[in-house]
Amino acid sequence: MLALALLLGTSGCGDLSRDELNRGVESLSALAAQGELIASGVARDATKSTYTRVMAKTLGGEAEHEAEKLADAEPSPEVERERDAAVQIAGELADLFSELQTFPGDERHGELVEKQMGKVKEQADAVVERLTGEEA
Amino acid sequence: MKSVLKIALGIIAALGGFLDIGDIVFTTQAGALYRYDLLWAVVLGVVGIAIYAEMCGRVAAVTGRPVFDVIRMRMGFGLGLVALVASTFVNVLTVAAELGGLAIVLQLLFDAEYSLFVVLATVGLVIVVALLPFGGIERVFGYCGLLMLVFIATAIHQGPDWGEVAHGFVPSLSDSKLYLYFVVGVFAAALMPYEVHFYSSGAVEEGWDESNLRENRLNAIVGYALGGILACSLIVVSGFLFHPVGVDPTDLGTAALPAQGAFGETGLLLALGGILFCVGGAAIDSSFAASYNLAQFLGWEWGRYRGPKKAPRFTVSWLVFLALAVMIALSGINPVEITEYSVVLAVVALPLTYFPILMIAGDRSFMREHANGMVSTTLGWLYFAVIVVLALAAIPLLLMTNGGGG
Repeated sequence: MLALALLLGTSGCGDLSRDELNRGVESLSALAAQGELIASGVARDATKSTYTRVMAKTLGGEAEHEAEKLADAEPSPEVERERDAAVQIAGELADLFSELQTFPGDERHGELVEKQMGKVKEQADAVVERLTGEEA
Repeated sequence: MKSVLKIALGIIAALGGFLDIGDIVFTTQAGALYRYDLLWAVVLGVVGIAIYAEMCGRVAAVTGRPVFDVIRMRMGFGLGLVALVASTFVNVLTVAAELGGLAIVLQLLFDAEYSLFVVLATVGLVIVVALLPFGGIERVFGYCGLLMLVFIATAIHQGPDWGEVAHGFVPSLSDSKLYLYFVVGVFAAALMPYEVHFYSSGAVEEGWDESNLRENRLNAIVGYALGGILACSLIVVSGFLFHPVGVDPTDLGTAALPAQGAFGETGLLLALGGILFCVGGAAIDSSFAASYNLAQFLGWEWGRYRGPKKAPRFTVSWLVFLALAVMIALSGINPVEITEYSVVLAVVALPLTYFPILMIAGDRSFMREHANGMVSTTLGWLYFAVIVVLALAAIPLLLMTNGGGG
């Protein structure tokens, strides 16, 4: 997934402004926050497997879509590094949601994914910070 | 004693049936984006629907005329037709959104194809309507919709800063277009006209007369006020859990997460069950409202009590509207997006149906001693002004914010 996203990232077409990129990364941060809450339910054995599986599938699809959208766009040179970081974050998110989808009732996986989601959110917030100059 | 019990049960059913997918989507998103700041917009909407429903119920009880009968009489065929087309369009969109919402919840509970659940949910609703009497439908969905009380329990369990929550009830405006869009959305979601049209038609079907005016007032004021508390609890739980971490609840299933956070799997199941019955009840109400409006406007025989043989065109139109809604729900458009459009367009169409009711409710030649008094007249016109302003602002805000996407 990550490789595909990075590959797509090299074949850019179109424009990606700082604002658009920022909105995209903010939505990745929101997805990671939601993923963290869902994974927390799995880790605490406080959820239902079907709920986790369907939510993970839906949100993972959104992360993949965001990865493709960001990778397809051609960034202006000053945000190229942030765009690449965003594509990577989106790919990682999609992978984590895929993990939740595969193991919706496994508490150990839930705990790991919860931690990873937290880290991915921090990365996304850091990119937002670089793009806006404000704390996310 | 028996009548008090009947009224109390009616209010409980109204409470359980107050929320629909529009309320759930807009309040959850409003809480995530603006924490408790938009609680006042719920109150504004709830007072609005109480005023509108009370007038419609009173007109129905005193004159025996439901909403679209009054609209045709007051506005004539041409303008009335505009109101009918606009309302029908919004109603069909609403039914589609509710069916889509039902399918999403069933998917979250049983994990199968969305499209399969859209079809199954529709067939299920048709069977329920065919088998249960009107009161039975109201009670099943109204009482089971009380599962939504889990959101009030969640709010209490979360223990937010209640001072901050209270501050959210103080109206505040902002120059942010997105904020204004959510003011319109939260208000409009609380004041969906199909609920009132269904209520008024139900009053005529049940043969209300002047002896039901007290029941009407209590239903409208107490029932909707209690329902408003549920809507407020959705904002509070979302504001508490989602706002600090930046969750953007664009999926219906996300609305159940706060209950899971507070009460684990039990909380999640109660929340999903509550959403299921609220949305299911709303699908029935909104689809019937579409057929009621059409039949009343065209002077057809209408009514759930009359049955398909005595009111064939009414029954066929109900099935046609349901079929159209199924097609929209299966089109691949996210039900949350359909919801946003149906709610915003509903407020655009609202002045066309609110105005004739306001006029008739204040007309002593029709309503005699039951015409609007000074308080009702003042509130009625005040709300008409609010509705017109929001109706004019709704479409530009929808476009400028890209449907709330910012």
